[in-house]
Amino acid sequence: MGETMEGKSMRQHLLQLLMEQRGSFVSGQEISDELGCSRTAIWKHISELRKEGYVIDAVQRKGYQLMYAPNRVTEPEIKRHLQSTVLAKHIRYEESVKSTQEIAQRLSYEHCPEGTLVIADEQTGGRGRLGRSWQSPKGSGIWMSLILRPDIPLQKSPQLTLLAAVSVAKAIYKTTGMQAEIKWPNDILLNGKKAVGILTELQAESDRIHAVIIGIGINVNVAETEFDPSLRDIATSLKIEGNEDVNRAKLVACIMEEMETLYHEYLQNGFGLIKLLWEGYAESIGKRIRVRTLHEQKEGIAKGITEEGVLLLEDDLGEIHHIYSADIEIPGT
Amino acid sequence: MLKIQEIRELIKLIDKSSIDEFKYENDGETILLKKNEVTVQAAEVAPTQVALAPQAVAPIAAPVAQPAPVAVQKTEAPQVEAPAQNDANLHKIESPMVGTFYASPTPDQAAYVAKGDKVSKDSIVCIVEAMKLFNEIEAEVNGEIVEILVENGQLVEYGQPLFLVKAE
Repeated sequence: MGETMEGKSMRQHLLQLLMEQRGSFVSGQEISDELGCSRTAIWKHISELRKEGYVIDAVQRKGYQLMYAPNRVTEPEIKRHLQSTVLAKHIRYEESVKSTQEIAQRLSYEHCPEGTLVIADEQTGGRGRLGRSWQSPKGSGIWMSLILRPDIPLQKSPQLTLLAAVSVAKAIYKTTGMQAEIKWPNDILLNGKKAVGILTELQAESDRIHAVIIGIGINVNVAETEFDPSLRDIATSLKIEGNEDVNRAKLVACIMEEMETLYHEYLQNGFGLIKLLWEGYAESIGKRIRVRTLHEQKEGIAKGITEEGVLLLEDDLGEIHHIYSADIEIPGT
Repeated sequence: MLKIQEIRELIKLIDKSSIDEFKYENDGETILLKKNEVTVQAAEVAPTQVALAPQAVAPIAAPVAQPAPVAVQKTEAPQVEAPAQNDANLHKIESPMVGTFYASPTPDQAAYVAKGDKVSKDSIVCIVEAMKLFNEIEAEVNGEIVEILVENGQLVEYGQPLFLVKAE
């Protein structure tokens, strides 16, 4: 703590340099030219990186070589895996924040470019729907907020939350081979337990969208003991289900790439393909569900979603209800 | 033409008021609302709109479902929502999307605004949510909230008036 922004960004720059030339040594001279700082300063930053868990070889007259990078979600770690062109082009990484949504909201008001990603190693005040808290322990999850500025009618913007869910489900499959399911509208489940939550906030003026801020929380390497006991029956992590550590930065990069592809598709051709994909991952279509809203609950069969992404529920009298917002449960579970 | 949600609001307001019968005519179009009397009268209006009226009425009347059936004949009555108010200076804050109306940030917090509150352009007055996308709605005018037209947790339509604000 107390470290200047300059020091942090210089260290990220240094790390980037070491990563770009992984497998070989980078000379002290080259680093000092690139960063515009003294050899002593470099040495100080190398020591800091080692404290963060990086293993860096230092050999006289050869320079520095990165031997091992810990499982982190810093900008250089994500960028190492990233091939997308717009999403996550700008990354704001923080060690610990109250909520990445709050920072993203502020950056968005300050006119940051579309695709800016805010990501933190830990959230102390992560939140979900209706002010519920979201546990975001240090070092084991992905807690991030993505800023989009789509040129679409405002009333279509909720579709982006389904798009985000599909992107994450696809990326989980690509990265781990695990087949996730989506619970309407955008919870992601592994073996019936929640591993990912997505909450989206809109910045708009009357009917014009300034920004859509998609908050995504993923329990990646969270251990069962890290969950509050009250959550252990309903929450899980990628590691609990797959029995191995998942590289968080790689998963973030994969999500950004999947989302970028789907986002372009969506802007060009609308919701059609996203709907098909969403239905492919849907957990409860055709099943009996219970829908809980602020004041009431209904039971019936989930018939599917509309072209707008709205859930269709058929009750026992055969009447179809359009569900725009609710908690979904499967009775008897 | 009045929008469906405007008719719906009209029905609700008349329903809550002590008015038994409400009739409005304009340009060959008539809207007639009656309470406490089960009649749905046919409209005598332009042919294109005859077909529209009964269809529009049925789904609207249903959710209101008070023991006071309302007969709606035709549309076109711009500023009749709040009989008690002189509407000329009232700004309507409308919902920009279909979704659930929340009066407060979380269920256990106080409402953003109450009747009589002063608001400024960027005051947040409510949230509308659909599919876990939360949209904080701003007042967009400086003034005073004179009417809250919807209930916490209610589903609101695109363009549905949520608040009436007496603009300054």
